[in-house]
Amino acid sequence: MQRNRSKSVYVICPAFNEARTIVGVLAGLTGQGYEIVVIDDGSSDGTRRVAETMAMTVISHPVNLGQGAALKTGIDYALSRGAEFIVTFDTDGQHRPSDIPRLLDALVRERADFALGSRFLGGAQRTPVLRRLLLRAATLFTAVTTGLRLTDTHNGLRAFTRRGAAALRLRQDRMAHASEILAEIARSRLRYVEVPVTIDYTEYSLAKGQRAGDFVMILLDLFAHKLRR
Amino acid sequence: MIAQALLSVLLGGVLVYAWAEYRRSPLVGALSIVAGLAGLYFVWMPSHSTLVAEFVGIGRGVDLILYLWVCISLTVMLNLHLKLRAQQETITKLARSIATANLAAAQEAPAVTAEQVPQPGPPAAADAHTSRQMRGQSA
Repeated sequence: MQRNRSKSVYVICPAFNEARTIVGVLAGLTGQGYEIVVIDDGSSDGTRRVAETMAMTVISHPVNLGQGAALKTGIDYALSRGAEFIVTFDTDGQHRPSDIPRLLDALVRERADFALGSRFLGGAQRTPVLRRLLLRAATLFTAVTTGLRLTDTHNGLRAFTRRGAAALRLRQDRMAHASEILAEIARSRLRYVEVPVTIDYTEYSLAKGQRAGDFVMILLDLFAHKLRR
Repeated sequence: MIAQALLSVLLGGVLVYAWAEYRRSPLVGALSIVAGLAGLYFVWMPSHSTLVAEFVGIGRGVDLILYLWVCISLTVMLNLHLKLRAQQETITKLARSIATANLAAAQEAPAVTAEQVPQPGPPAAADAHTSRQMRGQSA
């Protein structure tokens, strides 16, 4: 990773009650030359205070809005600060900072505007069977509704160019944002690429992750969103 | 006769609401007008509901009304859901503006030492969510 490129790389870290894990996550991101922006989404467990002690830019939602809203806040902020590249990075400890340079390199090498992490091209530790099935179903759903050919549709590790991030019109506050991002990528007709990344599942990240019922709510959210367009 | 009068008053209220709603949501307004007018018609011509029911293969007029009522209720619920979502979007924009304004204010404020950082406890209302950036640390 070249130093001059790193200076304009903003890593957006949405966090809701992640005080247990955020120290380790942010420690792994520091020293790489990235501008790290933590979006505290109305946490009540001191996440904001912990992040501030690590000398990060912390934007704090006064109330819990959802991960989609947190990402939108972070992306807007990064664009306003002149970011050339924007990375989204979950704070539950399932992503590896070492995957970020691969995403950024793919953007440059492939002349793409979106680099999407894929656990099924890379590695996923202890992926539960039910989750694997749900993710496969989501992949099929995405192919049908957007035409995007992807192997992993709900991976929180992504990288955008400035042009790509500016093209995203995000309105889904909660978990449906992942599907909305893909729909917006398809709508933008900009180039995208999948990059192998590793997901480290832990008991903690599995507990905080999506459940089967969440997918029903995601479909409802997407349906309601369509009605209002 | 008393029931017909009461129902007519209630359905008249539905029509007034539908007329007011039509400006905001033409689809919901139009559906409400149709439902209100149909309701008034069947209140005063109850035997006709049975004729319509038999025509569409339901059997009894009261069943037809019941099924239609379920459909209308679901439509109303959907409309309420959409309104709640619209309100949520407004709240999101408001909260985002507050969050970014707080950050900007914190960045303009003079830096404080670690000892001056408030200790854990109930946050004060005015600055409960003010964040600050330690300059020159990242990058």
